[in-house]
Amino acid sequence: MRPTPLVDDHQERGARLVDFHGWQLPLQFDGILAEHRRTRTHVSLFDCSHMGEIRLQGDPALACYGELVISDATAIPVGRGRYGALLNEAGGVVDDLITTRLSDDEAWVVCNAGPKDEVVATLRSVCGEGVEDLSDALAKIDVQGPEARATLQAAGFGDESAALSVFGACREVWRGWDVVVTRMGYTGELGYELYLANAGAVDLWRALLAFPGAAPAGLGARDTLRLEVGYPLSGQDIGPDCTALECGLDRFIAWETPFRGKAALEAQRAEGIRRKLTGIRTRDRRAPRPDYAIYNGDSVAGRVTSGAPGPTVGHGIGLAMLDVAVADPGVQLEAGPKRIAIETSTTPFYNEGSWKR
Amino acid sequence: MVPDDLLYTEDHEWIRDDGGEYVVGITAWASEQLGELTFVELPETGMDVHQGESVGTVESVKAASDVYSPVSGHIVEVNETLEDDPGLLTKDPYGDGWLFKLDSIRVADLKKLMKPDAYERFLEEQTE
Repeated sequence: MRPTPLVDDHQERGARLVDFHGWQLPLQFDGILAEHRRTRTHVSLFDCSHMGEIRLQGDPALACYGELVISDATAIPVGRGRYGALLNEAGGVVDDLITTRLSDDEAWVVCNAGPKDEVVATLRSVCGEGVEDLSDALAKIDVQGPEARATLQAAGFGDESAALSVFGACREVWRGWDVVVTRMGYTGELGYELYLANAGAVDLWRALLAFPGAAPAGLGARDTLRLEVGYPLSGQDIGPDCTALECGLDRFIAWETPFRGKAALEAQRAEGIRRKLTGIRTRDRRAPRPDYAIYNGDSVAGRVTSGAPGPTVGHGIGLAMLDVAVADPGVQLEAGPKRIAIETSTTPFYNEGSWKR
Repeated sequence: MVPDDLLYTEDHEWIRDDGGEYVVGITAWASEQLGELTFVELPETGMDVHQGESVGTVESVKAASDVYSPVSGHIVEVNETLEDDPGLLTKDPYGDGWLFKLDSIRVADLKKLMKPDAYERFLEEQTE
């Protein structure tokens, strides 16, 4: 397993470490439920150094990249980021990505750890010059929660970072380290994602943790937090074997621009999709679990891709790949070997987050 | 160390002779593996159950796990406190976190269960 630059610190704090796509990452520190609640009410720090960062340098690389991904990446203004995805020729989701334009001729692509090598290889083979994989050199620290801005300011970050709007990005020099600060997140709360050289990670992590009430959180809380806001996880809810339309990424597709997999998606759009990633919920604290079959009467209507008890909403929540015939909200179904009662639901399950503050 | 007055199953239930009634729970090792509990589904009082039959569910943030009856018998009481406070099972797995009580058990079933030293060896094999 590959350690992140913060692994010693995690061990000192008694974290339970697990293998996540070949990386040694904290599953939890003082407990998933406590970390989840702290993120909703105060602030948590997440070590996301496993994620991939790819630099695109120069117009040819930026233009080429724009013709690969589903969003109109070339139209992203400097200092802004945008969600998108890289598809295969069949329209399946290789990975979802966030592209951030840092200057006129530089953009950063942030992708997930599992598909990172494939994303890098694709960009290199299609776009050639101007694609640089920064992943091994960079640490990523996410600060999430209603007190995230105060946490950054207390650690010495300046007005430009504090003034970022949702999906904004800037560069700041912090104690001599070049830090890319983006106002983004995965929890539904006010959040920032910080990128800097590995060597500066421990200093930054500890400076942020000095904020009263701030504490680290692990993959467990990250999963329940993102599920409450209905965000899909690449490699679990969305992946190469389902198309961007089936995965519910329609609203991120810039149909007027070229992208890989477009022909397949256009054909599927004309024909209509047969299955769709859909929110599901229970009416009690029992939860759907990944890989549970979903039943509509006696017939199988799909499969749970993610599921857990929602600590803040107080009932079971999940995402499922379902036949479109039962994918509208409010359909009563059953899931798993014990046939627990579920119903389809709109997402997010949790709407009260601080992300707009 | 596991309590020395209990018998154990390979699914990590324990059973204790309480003078005619038998108390059933899950072991500390099992509850630690599950992590923080969020939901406990108990059997119904009055049910006749068979050895190895799934009679309930214990759910944590991370996973759901079936609870099996260690022996055949008749359910005379269930620990309803767990429905409001599933965390009790983690805090006191061999005491206040018990799951259900049986009587009229099939005594021969007890012979198929592990004694404390055998269960400890079984746990060592699980963690190796």
